[in-house]
Amino acid sequence: MTLVWKLLRQHISIPQFAGFFFANLFGMLIVLLGFQFYQDVVPMFTAEDSFMKNDFLIVNKKIGTASTISGRSNTFSNAEIDDFGRQPFVGRIGWFTATAYKADANMSVNGTSVLNNGEINFESIPDVFVDAKKSNWKYRPGDTTVPIILPRIYLTMYNFGFAQSHSLPKISEGLVGMIDFRIFVHGHNKEGRFNGKVIGFSNRLSSILVPQAFMDWSNATYSQGETHEPTRLIMQINNPGDRRFTTYLDRKGYEIENDKLNAEKTTYFLRMMITMVMLVGLVISALSFYMLMLSIYLLVQKNSGKLENLLLIGYKPTEVARPYQLLTIGLNFAVFLMALTILFFVRQAYMDIIETLFPDIEDGSMLPALAVGIALFFLVSLSNLVIIRNKIVRIWKRKE
Amino acid sequence: METITFNSVVPQVFSSTVQQLKSEIWNTEVTFRKGQLYLIEADSGKGKSTFCSYVVGYRRDYSGTVLFDANDTMHYKVKDWIDVRRQHVSYLFQELRLFPELTALENVEIKNKLTGFKSRAQIIEWFDRLGIADKLQSKVGRMSFGQQQRVAMLRALVQPFDFILADEPISHLDDTNSAAMADIMLAEAKAQGAGVIVTSIGKHMKLEYDKTLKL
Repeated sequence: MTLVWKLLRQHISIPQFAGFFFANLFGMLIVLLGFQFYQDVVPMFTAEDSFMKNDFLIVNKKIGTASTISGRSNTFSNAEIDDFGRQPFVGRIGWFTATAYKADANMSVNGTSVLNNGEINFESIPDVFVDAKKSNWKYRPGDTTVPIILPRIYLTMYNFGFAQSHSLPKISEGLVGMIDFRIFVHGHNKEGRFNGKVIGFSNRLSSILVPQAFMDWSNATYSQGETHEPTRLIMQINNPGDRRFTTYLDRKGYEIENDKLNAEKTTYFLRMMITMVMLVGLVISALSFYMLMLSIYLLVQKNSGKLENLLLIGYKPTEVARPYQLLTIGLNFAVFLMALTILFFVRQAYMDIIETLFPDIEDGSMLPALAVGIALFFLVSLSNLVIIRNKIVRIWKRKE
Repeated sequence: METITFNSVVPQVFSSTVQQLKSEIWNTEVTFRKGQLYLIEADSGKGKSTFCSYVVGYRRDYSGTVLFDANDTMHYKVKDWIDVRRQHVSYLFQELRLFPELTALENVEIKNKLTGFKSRAQIIEWFDRLGIADKLQSKVGRMSFGQQQRVAMLRALVQPFDFILADEPISHLDDTNSAAMADIMLAEAKAQGAGVIVTSIGKHMKLEYDKTLKL
């Protein structure tokens, strides 16, 4: 221990520094946790759907009281579809085809039944809108194996509700082979049994998607030629910002299915909430910083005689300031390490839950929090260094 | 550094009464040379300590110029003063400015560490000669003022210097200790070829001064 430190540690108040330590720890932890949590959670809302690209829009007719009373149909007629398709802003257009027969399904995972003879709905869209390997997404009339894509909500419900209570393994997209999906079709005095081969999940479906070829064939086979007009269209818009597109939608009383908008809204609110939480953390950090500076000021004030004497016998202001600078940097660094450690464990806890909900989410890393932490550490430490140095220079100039 | 020159220096506190100022230092020109021994005599309140604080750059509240050789010290930066205090001018403060929390030896070491100028053995020998060897490990705060004066003197000697300022160095010492202290200081100053400036309000070291100035 140097003599200078032996002198200057006089009057150091442990309670004051402990107060700073915990206040700063608390503030820093809130800031880092907010930031890290945001980084971890946002991919769930912004992840690209693996089977339907985000730039494919789904359009339906507005359903409101007026249309219900007036009996206005919520289906698209051929003329309406043709008119839509002729618009210059539309690239490709297709529609959702629904089944005209009844279908039941059994679903089991690893031999445990999850869905037992439940009535289900299929729908299909033209293959060009399905972003799956051609070899996976094909059906030849008569095949008993049908590739299907399930709505992601099924996966979430299974993983979060069913699997936990039945001690079943959680399913991620890589493990779809564990799902055994059997389909029973009846209509037009015929019956058919099919094996559904789950090739993936999509956020943008509200029912089970099958290849167009299977839909066309099964509708022809199991129903009496009755066709339903589609209620939903899928299309690619050349330029989604095109004003003519929104004008056209308004004029015709159509609307875009808002799954994407929902995700955007959720992300927006999440961002707002986390920004607020982080602001609170920053305020706490700022207050703790203020507290540290007050403690240091008090310390320098109480030791100003000693500091002045050291300067008078030839010590440089930098040499005299160094013990206090090291003290604050040490404290800041301890806070930084401690915050990161706590964050690590908190993150493990919440990532467990997130991974249950979204098994496919990437593990991510603590790099974002680390970066923010380092930035905060440097910012706070640099201000400490400058402020302490200025304080000592004031003693040199005999202004204290 | 060969000379210290005070050229028309008037402390701001005296600026209103500058006409009545009868002094051999204030408001005139006086040069202190290396290797010479000076005594500055004054009644209290005439600015002895003020004079010293101008030489070590502790205060600058004066008009006129204080020159080190030909350099106006008014333009000195922090690093220049640090250099002066470490290498060129040693100052035995009237109020001593020791650290009561440290032992007598530590008080000297805290300066010697900065300069690495003297061996510990040399320092201990000095303590011995000044009759305070038994106080080496005592906290300075528990020592008498006379004993503290001797510790402060030793601290002033553990550095290279061209001039040493001793502000009332023996106010609380008996003649024997005063003589011992003068011996050590003069020997060290001679070894370094340094100038010595002693101030006094009455009682002063009985030395062969080259010049006595009335403040």
